[in-house]
Amino acid sequence: MDAHIRKVYVPMTETGFYILLCLRSPAHGYGIVQKVKELTRGEIMLSPGTMYGSLSKMEKDGLICFVREEDKRKIYQITDLGREVLNLELRRIERLYRNAQEALL
Amino acid sequence: MKETKTELHFFNIMEYEKEQDYLRKRHSEGWKLKSTYPPGIYRFVRCEPEDVIYQLDYNPEGIKHQEEYVQLFRDCGWEYLFEFAGYCYFRKPASEAQGDEGIFCDDESRLEMVRRIFYGRMLPILIIFICLIFPQFADVIRQDGLSSPLFILSLIMLALFLLVFCQFAWQYRRFKQGIRR
Repeated sequence: MDAHIRKVYVPMTETGFYILLCLRSPAHGYGIVQKVKELTRGEIMLSPGTMYGSLSKMEKDGLICFVREEDKRKIYQITDLGREVLNLELRRIERLYRNAQEALL
Repeated sequence: MKETKTELHFFNIMEYEKEQDYLRKRHSEGWKLKSTYPPGIYRFVRCEPEDVIYQLDYNPEGIKHQEEYVQLFRDCGWEYLFEFAGYCYFRKPASEAQGDEGIFCDDESRLEMVRRIFYGRMLPILIIFICLIFPQFADVIRQDGLSSPLFILSLIMLALFLLVFCQFAWQYRRFKQGIRR
């Protein structure tokens, strides 16, 4: 992973994180919006402008790739690089959580 | 009673938020946007007064892949109106929106749009200034003096550009600070 990817995506935005998390199985932009709404019990509603921008950027950076098109909706999936970034981010969040727990005990 | 009306209103490329507010206000007065023409002509059609959120997106990538771009917005409940001068116009009744909903949900993506406007619009104008207009200044002043119409016109254009640039800087700072918070 080059320094640019690390700089841009670690830490990443909440939208970026959920996109990578959801794209471990193929999905389109609106599918991700619905999935995140479900996961967060309606607390996080991703907006289409943010979603479209993030998907194009992540595709360009090779974190996700285009799989096929269905009813004018582009379906994407995570790449190996995307998984690597997601794991880095997960480790960072785990550390944050662990440290917070220790500090608050 | 008149069924359509036309208004002239100028918004520069960095004033999309003001434009959104203006269109929302007209809709709440019973005039919904139908079309836009250069240089700043807005055509409205009479409708039931309603609180409707208007949003503008500047995204050349989206215009290139219009079908799937518009589909994503439609799926999220936004009506696509048209594209004008690089901006796509969307609207959604406030009654269907979740609180203060817009087409962007974080300052990172709002900042990204400001960046796209900078590279797509402001940078080309800046290059035209530097390569075409500035080099002419010395010649124009030598020939016709400082009161030459061409010189004055260039100054006005430069002033306008500086205004837009300041608005850009202000907007950039605003979203950047939003991210840090």
